[in-house]
Amino acid sequence: MAKDSLDINVGPGAKSHANRDVQSIKQKKRKSQLTWYIFLIPSFLGILLFMAYPIFESLRLSFYQSNGTIENFTGLDNFKTVLTSGPFWNSVWNTFFIGIFQIIITIPLGFIFASLINSTPKGQNFFKVIYFLPNVTSIVAAAMIFAFVLHPEMGIVNYLLDAAGLPTPSWLSEPSTAKWGVILLAVWHWIGFVIIICLANLQAISPEMYEAAKIDGASGLQQWLFITIPNMAGTFAFLLITGWIGAMQRFNEVYVLGGPNGSPARSIQTMGAFIYERGFTGFEFGIASAATYIMFVIILIFTFLNLKISNMKL
Amino acid sequence: MGRVRSSKSFFLMLAFLMVVVAGLAGCSENSSGESGGDGKWAGQTIKVQMIGDFAMEDSTDPITGEKTKGVHVLKEEFEKQHPGAKVEFILMPWEGYTEKTQAMLTSGEADVYQMPGVADFAPQGVLEPLAPYIEKDEDFNLDIFIENQVEGWKALGPDSDELKIYGLPFLGDARFIAYDKKLFDQWGVDYLSDHPTMDEVAEKAKKMTGKNPETGEQNYGIWFRGDWSSAFTLIDTAEGQNGRWGTGFAWDEIKFEFNSKEMVNGLNWLLDMQDYAPKGLVSNQGSENWMTKDNNIAIMLNQGPGDTVKPAYAQGLEDRIGIAQEFKNDEGRGGLFAGSPVAIAKDSKHKDLAWEWLKFATSDFAQKYVFEEMGLVPSVNSALEWDSVKEQDLMLPVFDAMKTPWTPRYPWGSAQPRFILTSEIESALTGKRDAQAALDKAQKESTEWLENR
Repeated sequence: MAKDSLDINVGPGAKSHANRDVQSIKQKKRKSQLTWYIFLIPSFLGILLFMAYPIFESLRLSFYQSNGTIENFTGLDNFKTVLTSGPFWNSVWNTFFIGIFQIIITIPLGFIFASLINSTPKGQNFFKVIYFLPNVTSIVAAAMIFAFVLHPEMGIVNYLLDAAGLPTPSWLSEPSTAKWGVILLAVWHWIGFVIIICLANLQAISPEMYEAAKIDGASGLQQWLFITIPNMAGTFAFLLITGWIGAMQRFNEVYVLGGPNGSPARSIQTMGAFIYERGFTGFEFGIASAATYIMFVIILIFTFLNLKISNMKL
Repeated sequence: MGRVRSSKSFFLMLAFLMVVVAGLAGCSENSSGESGGDGKWAGQTIKVQMIGDFAMEDSTDPITGEKTKGVHVLKEEFEKQHPGAKVEFILMPWEGYTEKTQAMLTSGEADVYQMPGVADFAPQGVLEPLAPYIEKDEDFNLDIFIENQVEGWKALGPDSDELKIYGLPFLGDARFIAYDKKLFDQWGVDYLSDHPTMDEVAEKAKKMTGKNPETGEQNYGIWFRGDWSSAFTLIDTAEGQNGRWGTGFAWDEIKFEFNSKEMVNGLNWLLDMQDYAPKGLVSNQGSENWMTKDNNIAIMLNQGPGDTVKPAYAQGLEDRIGIAQEFKNDEGRGGLFAGSPVAIAKDSKHKDLAWEWLKFATSDFAQKYVFEEMGLVPSVNSALEWDSVKEQDLMLPVFDAMKTPWTPRYPWGSAQPRFILTSEIESALTGKRDAQAALDKAQKESTEWLENR
């Protein structure tokens, strides 16, 4: 029986039958692929309509003086206006200032907290939840609460500072302290994410390395300095790059705390808020689009630099 | 196996088609949109955009806790008065209303718009001039509106250098000085006069700053918002000294006078007032107790009826709150003109019906709805005779304030000069620059912006 079937299979008729089978499998595969591509159409349409089209439309608008209905071609004038605008460079400065301090405070602090949580035998999940809670809180809601937390007379921060005999700043009512108010909020909001990412990496470091170090007589601090930290390099690079991009795009919290022009006296107006102010409160869509592309170039340059500095390979 | 797979992909396709059909059905026009019924307006549907806390269905007012009727009341009455016509509402919050309105106008989304930014939109040629409708409609008379309201909403068209009517006053609004009579009594200070001067306000604010002689609690003489609306607070001080923000209405005619003597005096006056105010003016803080029984601020500059009248009655503080007029010039004019007109979109397909809506929106029926259900300020003279208005004494000075603001409204109120001026006022209030330097900078930057726009 087996031979018969073998005979049948190797005959000329069997060959064409096999071809048909192959064709049919290919057709079915193609059909199956087609089905899934059909399912992808809504996503592709969404990307085209809400991402690709606005990106190109914004590029077009950046060469026009436009209020949405009346448009005049002005060439590179909008770019010139933005690049020579004092408030724009002030917004760049604010964005960098808040972003840099957020990163240099949060990453080391988050790593220290993660290390402490990792070395705690009990209650790890409790600490993870407690620290991660701010990160899942809406930044808009958090900013509204922080306006009260940093209230010059009724805020808890000034209450604690006063109790400790320290000076109580006006926070959001002073240009010099308003930025630090935003940094405080940004650190509070982001630190949970940093802790969780650091913890994931900490738990992935091979315990054998620590055992070997212990046998060699390394102290806890030495293990942390010479085993833990070098093994965290990739995580730090990841946090640096994602944190930097997020910091460059900062808008929500500064808008809630200081409005589109970053009160007081534009001290917390970021690049995103500058774009919003010119585009959506002043109907200067050309200026806003030009500023958006300049912001894109700034983020691109600094992300490239960050990748180089951190040696991270994409 | 093949059959199983093909039937599986068939079901997947079917599921996908159902999703697409459901999506398309959700995105499509209301199927009842153009059907209408019998009657003069059969087959005509207008879409009406409204801004604020309007809701389609009945709801509970978050301030008063009372049941509020939804705008379905307006729809039902209008459709009853206009047989065959249909109304669809597009309701939106105040947040981001200008950009949303701009997007809606660009895509021809509605026939009628509530349009506080009429001065920005009319020059774009997207609104219908209303003079022809007013002239040919014998049933309609502009005298129904509170003095100054029609004038205040006039705007420039795309090809005109003359102010014209593009919107009818729908919601009234005003700015005034509110004060707490109880604190005045406790300090033994006379209430503010109906038309106080800057000196009177300063003198009384100074007297009421410190430990309250009865309660021993810290009181502050004055508060004003030092950020978002500070430009208008400052300009009112200039108007109170017979000064002004500048001249012109069309962009190519505007000349700013941001660093005039009156403006500098006004800013110096605000800097002096800061000594009698709680910390936090520039971040809109320090006034948290206002409109509560624990209030600690005597005088509030640049207040609106929405923040004052309804909350005062809701909190049972109506006998405690007083309202005085903002600073006026020798002609009795001063303060910010505000509110909302209603306008017809240029590309509306049913302009006659849209005009009918405009008349309806300014009729006693709709105006009573906005006052009695929503607590908003009516724009018609007849409101002074309504029992519901007479029951609220605080409304009377509000109507007075509506008659005498600066008109036409500041044309740069939602453009870059406002933000430039606001930022410089903040610079002065936070000690970064003195008043003269701050306003010189605001004048220079605003003029440059004007020249380069």
